[in-house]
Amino acid sequence: MSTLTKILIVLLTVSSLFLCGIVVTYVANADDYKQKYDDQRDDIRASKDKAKKLTKQIKEKSEEMDRSKKKLNSSVSSLKTEVRTLKGKIQDLESEKAALSEKVNSWASITKDFYETNDKQGQLLKNTLGELDVLQAKQIKQKKELDETTSILRERMAIIETLESENDRLLEERSELQNRLGKGLLPFGKEPARATAVTPRRGPSRRTATREAPATRDIALHGLVTAVDLRNSMASVSIGSADGVKSGMKFHITRRDDFICDILIIDVDSEESVGILELIQQNPRIGDNASTNLNF
Amino acid sequence: MSPESQIRGGKVIAGNNIYTGIIGIALFSVLATLTFVAVKCYFQYGTIFSVP
Repeated sequence: MSTLTKILIVLLTVSSLFLCGIVVTYVANADDYKQKYDDQRDDIRASKDKAKKLTKQIKEKSEEMDRSKKKLNSSVSSLKTEVRTLKGKIQDLESEKAALSEKVNSWASITKDFYETNDKQGQLLKNTLGELDVLQAKQIKQKKELDETTSILRERMAIIETLESENDRLLEERSELQNRLGKGLLPFGKEPARATAVTPRRGPSRRTATREAPATRDIALHGLVTAVDLRNSMASVSIGSADGVKSGMKFHITRRDDFICDILIIDVDSEESVGILELIQQNPRIGDNASTNLNF
Repeated sequence: MSPESQIRGGKVIAGNNIYTGIIGIALFSVLATLTFVAVKCYFQYGTIFSVP
């Protein structure tokens, strides 16, 4: 074997080893393009599916949005109409408020007037209570005078009774004397005077006399109201001086069983008299009864 | 024909066994590389020569 052949064998071997090493290294480090292709294809398919799903979802969402838009439009229109009605109601309420405020103002003025009137009435009541106190004092005084008069009357009645008993006794003595005188005159043919029974006559006659005495009520004056002037608090009565009415007398005005007022007579005519109204409980009318005594 | 080869009874006998072994190593490395490349191609693409 020649030297050249040996050198060539060695070079061939070294170069083949070098090239085989390069090839093995390259192939071992080469990428798996098929795997990459499959992965990319799967990725593309998944992306397409995802895109389809997303487009479907977009469509559904858009439909939903359209529906909600329609609903919102309808609700907006209904709310607009509601707003219009509420505006109308607000205007009505404002007009009512204005009317009520006017009423409040009028009521405030009425209340103010009422308070003023109340104060006046309170003042009048005070004055009337003062007058009532004066009248009550007068009444007490008159009652005292009446009691005194009654006691005097009783004393006098007792005196009258003693005088009457004395009178009866004297009459009985007289009748007895007449009897005696009759008995004495009989022998002389003279008729004696007829004895009168004094005792039996005494009781009934006196009772009759007391019964016939006019009661206080019977001598009261009665008339009717003929005219009324409420502005000047005056009224006229249908009886005058011909019936015994005098200035200063007081007539009580009644209607059925109700006390109406008093009339203090200030002017007297022959058939009519005029007076001032006092202690007014009700307004007197023409035709009401006028009397100096109360006859309930 | 190598001058150092000898023919004895109809058989060819190598003149030097060292260089024969070296050539054998080269041949073995080439075959091993081809086998590795073929196996790799088959497992990656499913075929050895054709384009998938």
